[in-house]
Amino acid sequence: MTPSRRSFLMGAAALSAAVATPEMVRAAAALDVVAATKADWALATQDVEGDVARQTMRLLHGRAPAGLQGALYRNGPAKFRRPGGSATHWFDGDGMMRAFRIQDGQATLEARFADTPKRRTETELAAVVTPGFGTKGDGRARIGSNDDANAANTAVMVAGDQVWALWEGGSPLALSASDLSTQGFVTLRDDLKGMPFQAHPRYAPDGSIWNVGLAGNRAVIWRLNPDRSLSDAQVVPLPRASYMHDFTATDRHVILVLQPWVFATHAMPVTAGLAWRPEMGTQVLVLDKDDLSKRRLYELPGFFHFHLGDAWAERDGTIRFDVAASGDPRFAVDGARVLVDGHGVVPGDPAKLALITLRPDGRADMTYSAVVGEFPKADPRRAGLKRSLTAHTSGETRGRPLPTGLAVHDWDSGRSHAFELGVHQVVEEAVFVPKPGATAERDAWLVGPSVNLKDGRTELHVFDVARIEDGPVATWQADVALPAGFHGVWAG
Amino acid sequence: MKTVAAIAPVLALAAALSAAPVFAADLTVAFPGAAPQGQIMVAVFNSQANYGGEGQPAKVAMLDAAAGQTSVTFDGLPDGDYAVRAFHDLNGDGKMNTNPFGMPVEPFAFSNNAVGNMGPASWERAKFAAAGATTQSIDLK
Repeated sequence: MTPSRRSFLMGAAALSAAVATPEMVRAAAALDVVAATKADWALATQDVEGDVARQTMRLLHGRAPAGLQGALYRNGPAKFRRPGGSATHWFDGDGMMRAFRIQDGQATLEARFADTPKRRTETELAAVVTPGFGTKGDGRARIGSNDDANAANTAVMVAGDQVWALWEGGSPLALSASDLSTQGFVTLRDDLKGMPFQAHPRYAPDGSIWNVGLAGNRAVIWRLNPDRSLSDAQVVPLPRASYMHDFTATDRHVILVLQPWVFATHAMPVTAGLAWRPEMGTQVLVLDKDDLSKRRLYELPGFFHFHLGDAWAERDGTIRFDVAASGDPRFAVDGARVLVDGHGVVPGDPAKLALITLRPDGRADMTYSAVVGEFPKADPRRAGLKRSLTAHTSGETRGRPLPTGLAVHDWDSGRSHAFELGVHQVVEEAVFVPKPGATAERDAWLVGPSVNLKDGRTELHVFDVARIEDGPVATWQADVALPAGFHGVWAG
Repeated sequence: MKTVAAIAPVLALAAALSAAPVFAADLTVAFPGAAPQGQIMVAVFNSQANYGGEGQPAKVAMLDAAAGQTSVTFDGLPDGDYAVRAFHDLNGDGKMNTNPFGMPVEPFAFSNNAVGNMGPASWERAKFAAAGATTQSIDLK
């Protein structure tokens, strides 16, 4: 917020004391603090006020590899603060869909807010009133269904000539792939309207797409056909009501990791109802894709996680997958709040990559690497199949939240191949883009953006997976800064 | 001079007229965007208590949306505050159907197109004043 807008707000509040509600005064005071004492990473959670028309990005370094043509769609929260009240958690900002398009060596960027009932209500009221993951909301909220609270801000799925903005508590929101305009919420079958469809669909080797949606100790397991029509949806009981952001799958199993962060009470926001009970350990529920009533339950020591990697099953039935794991939910509760505050120390240790092994005899073990990492991504040619590599963000420390680099971890060799973009960068998730016609796991690029804090601009980087240590083979820069997003998908 | 007996009928008529409302409202409830399917159940409530379930609706109607009936007029309602609840029974089974997690899957709405706060719209949000010809145009969602 610029000083002139801030003083206008405070002046207006002073002039019309009857109109300036306590919420407005508190919100203005919070904005005041942000303007005065922002951390150097605060640009990563800055508000965007309007859509960004397609612009050509400036090539800063290198060149686009021949054969890299397509679009990276990414989603993330881009509006947190309003005069009458603000979101207080990173996960609750209004979703803004980004499209980075690479064509004939040139890159363009455009971004458009998802036109949700939440955003319309809060624009009309000039206040964030909707309860969310960490934002409490208030009595002015207008919620007639879970999609009235849908921030449409977490991830993306390509669906024909649409891209679907994914959240976790409601339906996908369809946008036009060509201009990112909002088309409407997706109902996969009339009797399933509004069932939750989470942010990490898993793509199976046969082309089908699996996903999960949670309601306490029940989950709906979605299976979509390659054309995104519904194949089946079944509700399964869970042994506990964990908070679960992600899930994973082999070519023949659905895998739900039930951490000891459990819904203990009904409360808003979501975090207020969750209790951390590490003594419960973590349970891993494995369901047979062909018969979801066939299940195995494994036990591990308790850990906290948001994100899992694609899983694979070996011939003897051993299942493996990676996880970005940490010791507790401090980041989820407090860290993500500090990120929206824009200043202060982000509590919680950065997550580390670990490999989980589920053995045919029912034993499970978890081996931590030494590697700090989040936003794991893998080769889409090998989704649900044996693989060696996990690409991930890197460089987070307690002193500087948010990643500063990218890396590829090789589970076979145990080696990490990393590149630091630097502390002046907030590095976002990068997706694995296979080289056209190539089959080797390393024959691929990593494509992902960063927020250049020094230049105040969003950048797009391309790395060669086989040569991460060489740094980006191409970097473009936009003439705007978008806040850091969450998850994306490549459409080649 | 007229006797009391002579003016008694006039007094009785005056008494009867003063017991009835002087004005009356004709309330039209319309659902212009409703799909031509099933039936729309409409309930009109004349008090917060009745709206909240402590009493009965003042008026109810079932519109044959499949036959194109998407509005109804309730004539001669006493002037005053009302709220309307409606739901569109698309499959004609007489019930508000829900998804496996208990959320409504058939469209519903309230007067003023009011939305609740994780529940039905409150009387405060849904109420409107009916006097003379009054129309509520409601979008079922």
